Amino acid sequence: MNFNPRYHHTTNQLQEEQLIIEAAKQNPEHFGPIYDKYYKQIFGYVYQRMDCKDTAFDVTAQVFLKALTNLNRYEFKGVPFASWLFRIAHSEVMQLFRDQKNKRAINADVGDLKNIYEEVQEPFFEEYLPALQQLIKQLPEDDLQMIEMRFFEHRPFKEIAEVLEITENNAKVRMYRILERLKKTITNFKT
Amino acid sequence: MEPKFNLHRPKISDDEINKNKDFDKLVKQFKQQSIQKAKSDVNFLKNKKITYATVIAGLAVVCTVTYFTVFNKQNKQTATNDKTNTLVSNKNKEAKSNGNFIAPPSKKLDVPYKTYKVNAQKGGELAHHTTPIAIGTKIKVPKAAFVNKEGKEIIGDVEIMYREFHDQADIIASGIPMTYDSAGTQYTFESAGMFDVKGYQNGEEVYLKQGKPITVELASRYTDDRYNQYYLDTVGHNWQVIKHDSPVISPEPAPPADGNSKQKNGKEIQLVKKIEHVPLQIDSVKTVYDKKIIALPQPKQPAKPAKATGRPQFNLEVDYKDYPELSAFKNSVFEVGTENKNYTKELHSITWSSAIISQGPQKGKNYILTLKYRNREEKLIVYPVLTGEDFEKASAVYEKKFIEYNVALDKREADEQKLKDQMDAKLLAYVEEQKKLSDELLKEQIRIRRAMEAQMEGETKNSTAAQNVSRIFTVNNFGIYNSDCPKSMPRGRVIEPRYASNSVPLDPSSVFLIDKGRNIVFNMSSNPYRFMYSEKSKYTLCIVAGGNVYFCDSNEFNRAVSDSKGKFNLAQLPDGSDMGEFKKALEI
Repeated sequence: MNFNPRYHHTTNQLQEEQLIIEAAKQNPEHFGPIYDKYYKQIFGYVYQRMDCKDTAFDVTAQVFLKALTNLNRYEFKGVPFASWLFRIAHSEVMQLFRDQKNKRAINADVGDLKNIYEEVQEPFFEEYLPALQQLIKQLPEDDLQMIEMRFFEHRPFKEIAEVLEITENNAKVRMYRILERLKKTITNFKT
Repeated sequence: MEPKFNLHRPKISDDEINKNKDFDKLVKQFKQQSIQKAKSDVNFLKNKKITYATVIAGLAVVCTVTYFTVFNKQNKQTATNDKTNTLVSNKNKEAKSNGNFIAPPSKKLDVPYKTYKVNAQKGGELAHHTTPIAIGTKIKVPKAAFVNKEGKEIIGDVEIMYREFHDQADIIASGIPMTYDSAGTQYTFESAGMFDVKGYQNGEEVYLKQGKPITVELASRYTDDRYNQYYLDTVGHNWQVIKHDSPVISPEPAPPADGNSKQKNGKEIQLVKKIEHVPLQIDSVKTVYDKKIIALPQPKQPAKPAKATGRPQFNLEVDYKDYPELSAFKNSVFEVGTENKNYTKELHSITWSSAIISQGPQKGKNYILTLKYRNREEKLIVYPVLTGEDFEKASAVYEKKFIEYNVALDKREADEQKLKDQMDAKLLAYVEEQKKLSDELLKEQIRIRRAMEAQMEGETKNSTAAQNVSRIFTVNNFGIYNSDCPKSMPRGRVIEPRYASNSVPLDPSSVFLIDKGRNIVFNMSSNPYRFMYSEKSKYTLCIVAGGNVYFCDSNEFNRAVSDSKGKFNLAQLPDGSDMGEFKKALEI
């Protein structure tokens, strides 16, 4: 499975990013490198969860404005700044859906869905696709977010854990439980 | 609401994403939002002010009524009681007389006001000189700045009564409380200067008109940038913080101790600018790296030829320009995949008007064949396969291309690593440079501070020495303002002092612990017989007992704290002593 190489940082990269953020706390003009670095990632995250491209661009702009406004509250916790941005993005996206201005969307490729089958060690048949889609649509938001990040956005557990502010182990356990539940239903497809 | 599921939604190009990036707009929005927030905060405070004023007015009424009720009762009680209660300690007597919030500890000490006249319509600039600060204070009064208690503009001359407090003797004599409550914690102010300003006309108090503040450029001997400005709220009985106080160097500075202070400040500014520039340099290195990575050639993996399995086939003519990965599959046929449930042999017997192939679900491995005839359309997932010699030839070509691909891939990885190493080295250099600059800045700041302290020390010793710092206050209301820094009460050793003068025991109403190293006075009057002091600091002590002022110098303080009984032998300040003599007694 792929993973998101733009997210991962060496210790040096983390230190450099922190230096930029500290400078941006003093002067918002210094926020530019962070904006450039993460704009595409945040847009990708937002657009992954909705249909309307224009709304996704608006929400992305709002995410960065919120980040800049609350930058003084940001505390470095040894993980990339992106994890904080993703949390803001998640909150913004969810707010949008709560306001019912937009409908939640799930975007995936057949290959992604096939990976779920591989993970639960079940043979994949194309005719199961509609049923699996329906199953994913009915997942609780928290479970859906895990599936989305792991299978549709190809994030490693470490990154998922940092975004959700849980331990890597906890992320793995959660995913295992979600897949266990999915497996039970997937097995029923055949019968 | 159930989410919508999209399969294979087209991806948005990087160009389109980048078109919507607008950092300038973000910064503009952020600034606008900050301005709006500041405005709404001001409105909120205004509304709060009105609410507070109403509450205070209400409380004042309640307190007045309560006070008179209690006061009348007490008078009646006093009248019925005899005069047996005459043995009241000095402390209690003075506590009664000093019942005000601002309570000078002794009538024998006083910081007098200086009176200046200013024409209310014309305004003007007043100069106030306080020894030993050479540059003096400027009081700038705008035109038409005064109103009377009815809010009517004052015409004619106004008397400005003004006094300043610069050292511990001034602070003690003033009786102005120097404690500061910050979120429930008590601090004592270390002062960089304080002043008290009032206005009168014909004995009647005047007020400053809204929007017409006077400016006080307070001369200060303390050049540090660590003080805040405060206003004494005599209603709330606490200091209200106004803003951070940045000292302003006088346009006519006295010659500095080593003659190069200006150069040092310039160097400090240069260092700060360089440090601020580092994040931008880091960013440009990263941008260059990203661009170089994108520019590296991306080798394409050759498609592996597949051998026909005997499944039904379609023989199609493919334009290899559209599907370059198929160029290795010359003479290929398209085998129908097992997943096609709609496939029947009948499909081969139809003369289709159109047969189009497009990318399949497994990119590069399979294709979607769309067959059309009139209204009928069939879609099949097909796999390019080869037979016999064609497969052998294609396999040989594939092997060759795959080796080339691996070589190209290794080269790209090596190039990527090389670029990354270069970037890491540059970034590390910038981080190290930033650290070096920060260290240099810190050293420079320490050096400047030490030079300033040395300069100040020299100036304090020599009363004629010049001072070159002003602290600018915008005075919207008459009252008491200061430039101070809150400090914690001294911690360290506990002392239980006994006070005496010429072997006569004293019962102090006020006890002041004077820190010799800082311009700070700790008021120990609430617990004069047990308090803490720091063994690292040097102190003198001043007490007020029976209306008289007593003091001890630092040697006597050190002796007394070593004394097992904690007995302080204090000298009395002679009657008729002025503030100069009081300062001398306190070693100021």
